[in-house]
Amino acid sequence: MNQRQARLFAIACTGIAALAFLGLTVDSHRQFPELTNADAITPEVSAGQDVWHKYNCVNCHTLFGEGAYYAPDLTKIADLRGEPYLQAYMRDPAQFYDEQRHRRLMPNQNLSEEEITNLIRFLQWVADVDTQGWPPRPILVATGFAPPSREAVAADQPGVEQVELRPVTPESDPRAIGENLFRSVTPACNACHSLTEGMDMAGPTLAGIRTRAEAIVGSDDYDGDADDAEGYIRESITDPSAHIVPGQMYSANDMSFMPNTYADSLSEEQIDQLAAFLASYE
Amino acid sequence: MRYRSQSVAYWYFAVAMVLFGLQVVFGLLSAVKYLGPDPLLYILPFDVTKVIHTNLLIVWVLTGFMGATYWLVPEESRTELHSVKLAYVQLILWTLMGVTAVIGYLFRYGTGNKLLEQPLPHKLVIVACMLIFLYNIGMTIRKAGRFTTTEGVLVLGLLSSAVLYLPALLHYENYTVSIFYRWWTIHLWVEGVWMMIMGSFLAYLLIRLSGVDREVMEKWLYVIVGLVFIAGILGTAHHYYWVGVPTYWLPIGGFFSALEPLALVGMAIYAYTAIRRAGLSHPNTLALHWTIGSAVFALFGAGLLGLAHTWPSVNRWTHGTLITAMHGHSAFYGAYAMIVLAMITYAMPSITRTRNDVSSTLGFWAFWLQVGGMFGMTLSFATAGIGQVYLERIVGLGYLDTQLKIQVHFLMLILTASIFSVGVGLFIFDFFRRAPRAEVLPETEAESVRAGGAAPPEPAGQAAR
Repeated sequence: MNQRQARLFAIACTGIAALAFLGLTVDSHRQFPELTNADAITPEVSAGQDVWHKYNCVNCHTLFGEGAYYAPDLTKIADLRGEPYLQAYMRDPAQFYDEQRHRRLMPNQNLSEEEITNLIRFLQWVADVDTQGWPPRPILVATGFAPPSREAVAADQPGVEQVELRPVTPESDPRAIGENLFRSVTPACNACHSLTEGMDMAGPTLAGIRTRAEAIVGSDDYDGDADDAEGYIRESITDPSAHIVPGQMYSANDMSFMPNTYADSLSEEQIDQLAAFLASYE
Repeated sequence: MRYRSQSVAYWYFAVAMVLFGLQVVFGLLSAVKYLGPDPLLYILPFDVTKVIHTNLLIVWVLTGFMGATYWLVPEESRTELHSVKLAYVQLILWTLMGVTAVIGYLFRYGTGNKLLEQPLPHKLVIVACMLIFLYNIGMTIRKAGRFTTTEGVLVLGLLSSAVLYLPALLHYENYTVSIFYRWWTIHLWVEGVWMMIMGSFLAYLLIRLSGVDREVMEKWLYVIVGLVFIAGILGTAHHYYWVGVPTYWLPIGGFFSALEPLALVGMAIYAYTAIRRAGLSHPNTLALHWTIGSAVFALFGAGLLGLAHTWPSVNRWTHGTLITAMHGHSAFYGAYAMIVLAMITYAMPSITRTRNDVSSTLGFWAFWLQVGGMFGMTLSFATAGIGQVYLERIVGLGYLDTQLKIQVHFLMLILTASIFSVGVGLFIFDFFRRAPRAEVLPETEAESVRAGGAAPPEPAGQAAR
């Protein structure tokens, strides 16, 4: 090969690749409206995108897996957690996480209520974009893991303590108190229930419980007394056998295996707090 | 230094060195925040230190490219620069842009668009600086009438860098579309036209350092450019995974990014053969270290570690984790930081007043501490990233809980980053302890042979060896 041929090789490679790339770009533009639900980009969504940019969110978080790696990915956050939770979180992140325990905390951005609403609209739009099945399983912010074995807890081994929760006071957000109760009541809810999609343990996973509860309450098979999702969750805590979730490992003879002691051991308020927390999982 | 106007390169290098130092400071600050808690949470939060860290990288590397070009073009075209004054005006404008952008970031004045955070006025100044630069270089070559292949590839690379910055000036209503075009700038820079720039610096350095035949080197430079683009342009697709674009980008990204290491393998073989053929007789062994080091580290960081997570079925799990930081750090350092440091080290005996002292012990310490430190940082990010992928993405542990479990890797990161920073500090000290030199030096016979023959000019590649 001489220099002229080498040059020709360089030009041809570049030319062909560039042409193919441009062709695919044109075709992508043809498909963007459908793949990204471009019709759903309302002025609120656009304003939310401006909020996302204005507060430099992408230099801690990722969106579509792109950004910095210092804070959780938010692509599907609007699918995972409901709007009231996201609102409460953005008003004051320190209500939900503790810097001493997690060693990291989102600084309060002092967003206006309008900014918060718009940002949630933007994140809702993002969650609906067709990401070809990514992430393969939900990316959770915290929790969502099987607890340590009883032996490990009994032996008080270092590192097995999973309760990395923000300490709460009676003034804390009820969902934050509920999250705390989820791991601290006796017996602990997370001993049998995960918050991870598809991870059924002794009890079914509680990921997406709000959406499922709404469906159950609305279905003909439901024979309990609740009218809405939170009501269903409350009922399940106090009277586990009121509605039996299908599955041989969860019940026998129409009696749920879940302990039926919570109605006595928890106060009315605590049950409300637990229900508020769980109902934030959409 | 054969041409007086080459001395502008010194000031470009000086600015680049200061910004490099600052970049490392902000990098260290960001790394410490991974351990937390952060006492500066409301003064200098992570998003601010990180945006300054990445932006300073882009600015200092580009400053280095410009300085190295102002050094290389007069020598290749055998003439003084068209306008030294314009080169200084450009440097002042460019530096002001960089410094004010960083100050702005401290107050959250930026676009919040990853790597393209520069506010619009700054972006316009960047375009203006690029135009001044290209005009100055273009006029120099035009007046000289001598245009080598090495310099042609370099100028085309710089010109395309400017053109590819243009999509970054536009606003996109659709976030997915904005991601799509952001990579036209960022990816096509770092895995396309900047590789042309790197390849031409490498060719220049190898011709000078090893004395290998110019015609052979320039022929293979073309082949490398061809490989860069056949893989690099369609390889943009690996940034289009999971962001809301059509599915066909997945196999295209997988296939063409798997080809991307070819060009880097090419460059490493290129460097190795040059040494095999012509030996290591050049007195500036430190520059040789940086040159070969760059080719090898780029192959490792950009080539192999890029390949490690570029296949869609792997990337599905690793996307958006510290695995990307592993690749990003080693690739940028190997390909671009090291090649600029190689050009600076090569030019140092001529542009500063310590001609015989260039391969100082200090310089070698700087080299090995940086290379060792960056290798350790890469491993820290890799081990942290693998832990993160397993715990967070596969097992389903929450993000925050996962980060707590991989703290030990962050400790390792801070330790190795400190070693790296000492290396950077030594390099900067080594640079500034020498005074700049303004007078023209006569070229030694050996150097002039390596340069491709002394004046009177003869066509490229005809040099007697």
